[in-house]
Amino acid sequence: MLIRKMWRDLLKNKTQFISIFLMSMLGMLVFVGIDAESSGGAAAADAYYKKYNLSDIWIQGAGFSDDDVRTARRVTGVKSVEKRLSITGTAEKYDNAYMYINFMNSNEINRLMLYKGEPFNEEEQGVWLEEWFAHTNNIELGDTFSVKIDSIQIDAIVRGIIDAPDYVYYVSEEDMMYPNYKKCGLAFMSSEMYPDPSNMIYNQLIIDVRDDMSDDDSIDIIREKLEKAFDRDDIAVTDRDQNLSYATFDAEVRQHKAMGLMFAVVFLAIALLGIVTTMARVTASQRTIIGTMKALGFSKARITFHYVSYGFAISALGCIVGGIAGYLTLPPWILGMFTGSYLIPDLKGKVTILDIEVIVVAIIVSTLVSFLSCRKELKDPPAVTLKPPAPKKVRHSALEKSRLWLMLDFSTQWNIRDVMRNKLRSIMGIMGVLGCSMLLVCGFGCFDSVNGLVDKLYGELMTAKNKIVLSADADYDYAYDLSSDYKGQMIQETSVEFVSGSVKKSGSATVIDKGNYIHIQDKDLKPVDLNKSGIAMTSKMAGLLGLKEGDFVKWHIVGDDEWQYTRIVQLYRDPSVQGIMMRREIFEDLEYSFRPTSILTNKSVPADLIDEDEVSSVLNIAHMKAAFTETMEIMNSMVYVMVVAAVLLGVVVLYNLGVLSFVEKTREVATLKVLGFKSSKIRNILQKQNIWLTVIGICFGLYSGWGMLYIICTTVSDTLDMFPIISLPTYIYSIGGTFLVSTMVNFMFSGKVKTIDMVDALKGVE
Amino acid sequence: MFKKKKKEEKDLEIIDIENEPDKKVLIEFKDVCKKYEQGDNVFYALKDASLTINEGEMVVILGPSGAGKSTLLNLLGGMDSASSGHILFDGKDLTTFNDNQLTEYRAKNVGVVFQFYNLIPTLTAYENVALMRDIKDGTSDPKEALAAVGLSEHMHQFPSQMSGGEQQRTSIARAVAKNPKLLLCDEPTGALDTDTGKEVLKLLQDMSREKKRTVVMVTHNSFFADIADTVIRVKNGGIKSIVHNDDPKDASEVNW
Repeated sequence: MLIRKMWRDLLKNKTQFISIFLMSMLGMLVFVGIDAESSGGAAAADAYYKKYNLSDIWIQGAGFSDDDVRTARRVTGVKSVEKRLSITGTAEKYDNAYMYINFMNSNEINRLMLYKGEPFNEEEQGVWLEEWFAHTNNIELGDTFSVKIDSIQIDAIVRGIIDAPDYVYYVSEEDMMYPNYKKCGLAFMSSEMYPDPSNMIYNQLIIDVRDDMSDDDSIDIIREKLEKAFDRDDIAVTDRDQNLSYATFDAEVRQHKAMGLMFAVVFLAIALLGIVTTMARVTASQRTIIGTMKALGFSKARITFHYVSYGFAISALGCIVGGIAGYLTLPPWILGMFTGSYLIPDLKGKVTILDIEVIVVAIIVSTLVSFLSCRKELKDPPAVTLKPPAPKKVRHSALEKSRLWLMLDFSTQWNIRDVMRNKLRSIMGIMGVLGCSMLLVCGFGCFDSVNGLVDKLYGELMTAKNKIVLSADADYDYAYDLSSDYKGQMIQETSVEFVSGSVKKSGSATVIDKGNYIHIQDKDLKPVDLNKSGIAMTSKMAGLLGLKEGDFVKWHIVGDDEWQYTRIVQLYRDPSVQGIMMRREIFEDLEYSFRPTSILTNKSVPADLIDEDEVSSVLNIAHMKAAFTETMEIMNSMVYVMVVAAVLLGVVVLYNLGVLSFVEKTREVATLKVLGFKSSKIRNILQKQNIWLTVIGICFGLYSGWGMLYIICTTVSDTLDMFPIISLPTYIYSIGGTFLVSTMVNFMFSGKVKTIDMVDALKGVE
Repeated sequence: MFKKKKKEEKDLEIIDIENEPDKKVLIEFKDVCKKYEQGDNVFYALKDASLTINEGEMVVILGPSGAGKSTLLNLLGGMDSASSGHILFDGKDLTTFNDNQLTEYRAKNVGVVFQFYNLIPTLTAYENVALMRDIKDGTSDPKEALAAVGLSEHMHQFPSQMSGGEQQRTSIARAVAKNPKLLLCDEPTGALDTDTGKEVLKLLQDMSREKKRTVVMVTHNSFFADIADTVIRVKNGGIKSIVHNDDPKDASEVNW
């Protein structure tokens, strides 16, 4: 019979229980969904790295012999070493696609994952191509693939279509961040294929450490030992964290985790608070029934079990359904967007122990709340519980004693008292509004910040309308002529590695010639001129390296063995590229020759310019903006999830609260009606309190939303240095949206004032 | 001085009842107090109450509101605990019982009829009565219990679909379905109109007369004194008088 009672009670209080169900479901959906997505991504990558033996340490340098391989192998902890020549070239037949080419004479480390064809064989003449590149360019097995390296052409038959664990993410320099596989590819060949194998100079050693030494600390130790063993200035020993492919995906996953968990935790907290309040109130409303059951002779344990099972049943149902739904929906959707950016097989969501733990904890908390509120009602003997609860002791607050109080009108007085006497309910209402507006502000703010970043990037920091990207074929004279024709500004963008103490970071160096298209801003985002006497570094990079203005930094251009030790004379902020910037004169003072990689111009560029061998591509500002926005797509989709969920949560929490307070106020409202208050007047009184709570909630919500956005913008990624921006429309949408949700919900209830039957509501206290 | 004198009076009257040899004592109150303390204020809801109730009797506890009659009933039903004194039920002292023992006492021995029925709103009349099978073995068949109070027809209605009288009859069916030794009624007609009230009263009297159950009813309505075997009058937390009624009226003859 008690089970029957439970189901009927659930049915009768369906609004409250459905809210609890929805709150726990939504909370879990977002939490488990995002966690499963990021954990699944990380797990798939780990499995891939392990299976195909991603190298633990890379050594780059001007040339490595077999002696060097032996030197490295002798270091304790090193399991195996392979040497490679890793260079770039172009595939003319495929629209001058930018090619990463690796020559190697064995493939036990960074093993190629085969899709089609035959496995890599160093004895075999031929080339192994990356799957996306091959696929996008319709290259089939058996085709002849030609690639040009420094004007030498190599022709090879395509033997296999592959992916490589050390290239889960690769982009050409001009693509910025979002991969374009039509124009950038990856090729592996046997060393035998190199035009002059006997004079081949290997520039990379890849090192696999022993499985029992593959933790971070041991890797650091091995890295130091390797540096000592070689004792050469012209090499760089790096681990996975400095590897572009590994680090980019790792950062992406961590970004999701950080952002997702932050949202999810806020979400879960609000949901739990809602569950707590609702459960406590539902149990309290059953006080007389609990008393009756006790009087009839039900034992405490039986009654407790009965009520605890409400909280348990509903929250368990909600949490489990939410968890499963989250696992089934979010990971495939978000990970689906990874495809195309990251070349990792078997990307799928993964439920972690943490998910299970959080589900269990949420269920326990909800159950505990029903246990505690039930316990409270069971504390007294049935004679007491059978009666309605003694009215709360109320004292006059200081305000009520002051003169000001007398000046307030009745509705204000009534509402102040009501709020003071139902603190928990009021706080819950504020929290619901707060959560809703906070998630809205933060969500829309993410859009604003990304847009602001794009506008800043292509409008404030780079003001040219077009960017002509030069190919490797273009020499300085060509660039100079082109620049003169278009009244352009020549710039050179190149990858560099920085070292400061034990910290190593990859970044970029931008060298600018005379012109007016590149601008920089200081840490307060005020425009400043680039220092004429030395190099400037982005403040984010300086922060990562632990440096400040005036300090010295060690750096070298990737592919160049010459290390520089230079003073940082200026700090500037760049939202998307971290590294250093300098004028051409400074660059040349360091004895580099200036080789422009692109030309910035405001003049329009004819479409046929791209046909010239020396020109790789022409990007107009709209393209660049679009390309950049595309890289933010995954983040945006997460924001959609949050915004939708925020509104749903707001509606559920506030609706639920509306039901609770309406039920609790029925008698008071009926009394007011009997006294002759018009329904519309009563409605205004109720509405007033709602507006107060909403305004307070929104104020806190906007503030915490900004805080959350600030954290997201500044901490989620190593390369992005976003400025939190909240636009006016965002404020309007967030405030308006929250008000709409809150007012709509309240309107529904205050509309019920008319329907309250005075006689019925005031009938005997049961 | 004053207190002592009062107690002597009461003792006299009780002895009068105990003298009847053919009756078995079911309940005995010995100097029972129930007090509430709030800071320095001590309020006695019941003070030095002593009385005995015999098995099979119909007892009416009469008194104005606030007199302590509900307290008396709560103590009888094990729904509250006394501050001092002893309450003997079948020779066992309820005041020594712990929570679990009290619960078991309520489950096995006591049936309660409340003024506002206190049915579980989400259970039908039948289910409300059948609920008793969850707490005690050997309860009567819910259908029979409901038939006995004349509710065969509306068995599957929810409390909200029934009239006050029907709800109260369900409540009585629920109370007697346990076959309790003691049936406690708290203003059972308080929320009912006269005619319905009479029916309920009759039902309760029958329980006592025909089924030989001990029925204790609390009311402020002095007309009910006529139908009781024993009338206990309560005032200001003390027992004013205990009067044995040799020839109780039939419930249907009472008017108020």
